[in-house]
Order: sequence, then C-alpha cells, then structure tokens
Amino acid sequence: MLNRRDFLKAGAGIALAAALPARAAAAAGHIVIIGGGVGGATAAKYLKLYNPALRVTVIETNRTYIRPYGSSEVLTGHVGMNDLNVSYDTLKSKYGVGFVFDTVVGFDPAKKQVRTAGRQTIAYDKLVVSPGISLQYQAIPGYSAAVAETRAPSGWIPGSQTALLTKQLQAMRPGGTFVIVAPPNPYRCPPGPYERAALVTEWMRKHNPSGKVLILDPKDSFVTDATMQLGWHRLYGYNIPNDYLSDMPAGVKNSGKPSPIEWVRAMDGGAPQSLDARTLTVMTKQGAVKADVLNVIPPMKAGKLAFDMGLTDASGFCPVDRRSFESSVHRDVFVIGDASIADAMPKSGFSANNQAKVTARAIVAQMAGRAPGEPVWENTCYALAGSDYGLYVADVFRLKDGKITRLPGERYLPLDASMAKIRLAAAYQQAWLKTFTEDCFA
Amino acid sequence: MGTLMKSLVFACAALAATLPSAHAAEPSGEAMAATCAGCHGTQGRLGTVEFVPLAGLSEDEFVRAMRDFKSGKRPSTLMSVVANGFTESEIRSMARYFAGVKPSPAQ
Repeated sequence: MLNRRDFLKAGAGIALAAALPARAAAAAGHIVIIGGGVGGATAAKYLKLYNPALRVTVIETNRTYIRPYGSSEVLTGHVGMNDLNVSYDTLKSKYGVGFVFDTVVGFDPAKKQVRTAGRQTIAYDKLVVSPGISLQYQAIPGYSAAVAETRAPSGWIPGSQTALLTKQLQAMRPGGTFVIVAPPNPYRCPPGPYERAALVTEWMRKHNPSGKVLILDPKDSFVTDATMQLGWHRLYGYNIPNDYLSDMPAGVKNSGKPSPIEWVRAMDGGAPQSLDARTLTVMTKQGAVKADVLNVIPPMKAGKLAFDMGLTDASGFCPVDRRSFESSVHRDVFVIGDASIADAMPKSGFSANNQAKVTARAIVAQMAGRAPGEPVWENTCYALAGSDYGLYVADVFRLKDGKITRLPGERYLPLDASMAKIRLAAAYQQAWLKTFTEDCFA
Repeated sequence: MGTLMKSLVFACAALAATLPSAHAAEPSGEAMAATCAGCHGTQGRLGTVEFVPLAGLSEDEFVRAMRDFKSGKRPSTLMSVVANGFTESEIRSMARYFAGVKPSPAQ
C-alpha cells in the first residue's frame, strides 16, 4: 500500500509515452471520473447528456457495481446478493461512457494526470472523484477489518460481509440477540441502521420468534427517529422512550412488556467503548452486552482514495466549493458523494446523484467558459419499519452564503399519517430502488 | 418614510424570508428537473412502475399538480415537501422544461 507521499510521487513519475492525450482526443475535453458508484456513474451519464461531445472515462476497480442502498434486504432473504449487482453496460452502449477497470495509484495535479495499478497514465481536463466512504474499523478497540470479515461483519459496504451477516442471522440460536452497533454522525445512509434493525426484527418474528434485536448507539437521536419508532411500536410492540412519547398520536401507549427490539441511546449508556470479537461482547457504559450475532457499523470517513490524493481536511472529508463541488485543495478536481463536505445534505445515494448532476452542469459550463448556474439539490431517504411500512425524510436544498442549506418546513412522514399512506411509502421505496438505479446507471 | 411604506417593506421582507430563494437567482428548468429524475426518470422519461412520468406533461397540468401538492388539495406522501421547495416561477420553468421533452416510448 502506498502512503500519501508515495501516491503523489507515483503520479508525478509518469512515463509520458504511456499518457493518453487528453485535448487531442476531443476538442470538448476529457473528463475522467474515479469511482463508478452512484456519484461517479450519475456524473458520467449526465456529462454525456449535457454535452455529448465530451469524452468521459470512468476508472473503477470492479466490473460490476454492488448497490448498497436496499442491501439490508439481503439479510431477510427479500432479495439475494445477485440482485444487488448493477451493470455498467448501458452507460457504455447508450451514452458512450468509456470505462477503465483498474485502480488509481498515482495523482499529479500539476500535470493533470492519474496513474493506475495497471500502469496506465490517464490525463484529464477535469477530474471527478467519487470515492465513497471508508469504514474506520480500528476506531472501536477490539474491532478490525479482519474481525469484520470473519466474526462481526459491518455489511455497510455490500459484499462478503453482507453474505456473512445473512448466514449468521439464519444460523442464530433460538432466542439469541442480534446486536447492531450504530455509527456516530456523519455516516452513510442515516436511517439505514434502524431500517436494518426493523427488517431483522420482522424476519425473526417468523423464523426465530424468541430472538431479539438490540441497537447500541453512540447518539441520542437519528433522522426519522420518531416515525421509525412509531413503526416499531405498532409492528413489534416496541416501547417508545418518554421524551418521544409526548409527540405521538393519541392512543399510542407502551405496553411495558419486553419488546423484541430495543434502542439503547448514548444517554442510556448505549455508546460502544470496545468489543471482544472472540466472545462477541460489546463494552458500553451500561456494562457488557453479549451478542449472538454482532453487526458493527463503525465510524466513517471519506474513501481512502480521497486521503491518498490529499483531498481531505482535518474532518476526514473533502472541502469543496458548494456551487460546483470543485475541490478547495486542487483546481479542476471535483469531489462528490459521501466523501464531500456538503453541509445539510446527508450522506446518501440520492445526495450523491443530485451532487453529480450539479457538478456535471458546472463542468459543462466551465468547459464552455461560462460561470456555473444556480444549483439546487434534493434528497429523499425512504426507509422501512417493516415490509409494508414505509417512511421517509425529504428535503430541497439551496445555496445560501456559500453553504448548502435545507429549506425549512415539514420533512418527515407525519406521525398521524394513514395506514394507506404508510403502505404507499413502502411501495414507493421498492419502486425507487428501480427508478433510482435507472437514473444513475441506465 | 411613511408608515404604509414601512409596513410594505416589512411585509416584503417577511415574504422573502418564507419563500424559498424568492429573490435569489433561479436554477434553470433543466437543473431543477434533474432533481426529480431519481423517481420520475431521467428527463422525466419514466417508462415503468409507480411514479408519474413527467416528460411531455402539459405545462398547465404540471403547475396545477405542484400547486395542489403545496396546498394539500392533492394528497401525497412526500410531494408536498418537494413542491414547497420551489417558487411559483420556478415551478412554471420546470413545467416548460418537461412539456418540451419527448415522452419515453414506454410511457
């Protein structure tokens, strides 16, 4: 593994003979995108839509994308691992996006070139970096990438850990406890850990009725917390904490009986301090918690590539000009998606998709010598409290005094929403998985 | 400055504070339409499933739908939240954009 200095040197030591000529290829210019996730794919597609004359190349390590959104549905068998696979074929055939399946190992911002592990040197006029997140396994004493691959999976970037967690859930002893360690802010997919808890609880009612889900949380609240807890209450007899109870619709009353799902907040001693992978025990302020299946969603920072390229600041994420998402560190380099600092926007696929479009427009404008237009972004996170119980958070964002600001007003499913609306939100969540994937990749 | 003028100025300031970017530069119709695409299809050209395809929708129909989402006259899950994020003039410019897009053959 190269450290950051080696990484930059590797970029500078480029053999020019191998360099692909950027400007000669197309007068309109060559836009290189590193990362073929939601942000990178959407940027590639919309750059070609907005200016078909641009040459667009995506550099991506994997030949098939595994979508993280909706991937908790693998745990409950609602979909299989293969259903998460997304092909790059349409971006190639329909939009003429070029793909280089390789890994970037060097970056020379002065020469505007990147170098790959396969010894290709690729020159750019504009570079879009969409590296996603890196999971900070080592932030929790006792946890590590090796532990995540073998004993206590995170399953937050879908792949082998998702498959392992699914197997562990299915093999869990009757009456066992499935512990989810939730991450601190900011992290990818804010309602995600709690939706996973809900889907696992629903699954256990059928397959392991005396089993239990316990969420240990370093936070005291989360996005969609009131609507999600109301869903847990209605579906699984969850006891709503007193400070949330006062806002609930009339007639919502805790039974006081033990519930198969429990959320232990930081204020109640739920913050994880360390873990013992051998015994699957999590140490909290409240004491030791023994798990039968342990799902640890660790703290997150920008994807490793962002660090290697020197694009991050002390926060571990990438500062950008919010109008265009051009890096505050390097000109002609744009950072989008979870790795970027985007103020009020959550780290979600929907955000990355909307940022990609704003960036695509800004790049097309810059290449034409125009100033970027006024940006606007949206985010919608649908989440499930059960297969037929949907909820959401939705926002429109504007640029205000150089920062991305959420417009005030209602953002959640109302607590007094009808069951018809709740079922509709669940149907929309499932529909969105398809339409959203199409907007990014097809 | 007369009292009437003062209260008018105040009323305008209050209005500006409640309306999204009433006085700021407006994004283009195409830029705003791109925020709809995650559900309603790229350029509103959705060929499948639950959401309404927006490509080729008449301007009047689009504007009416967004107004009714805003006022609550038309029930919705989250479309009231989205509609409230845009001014009347922005909604008209989105409507012009979608009216000019050829619908998907599957629509």
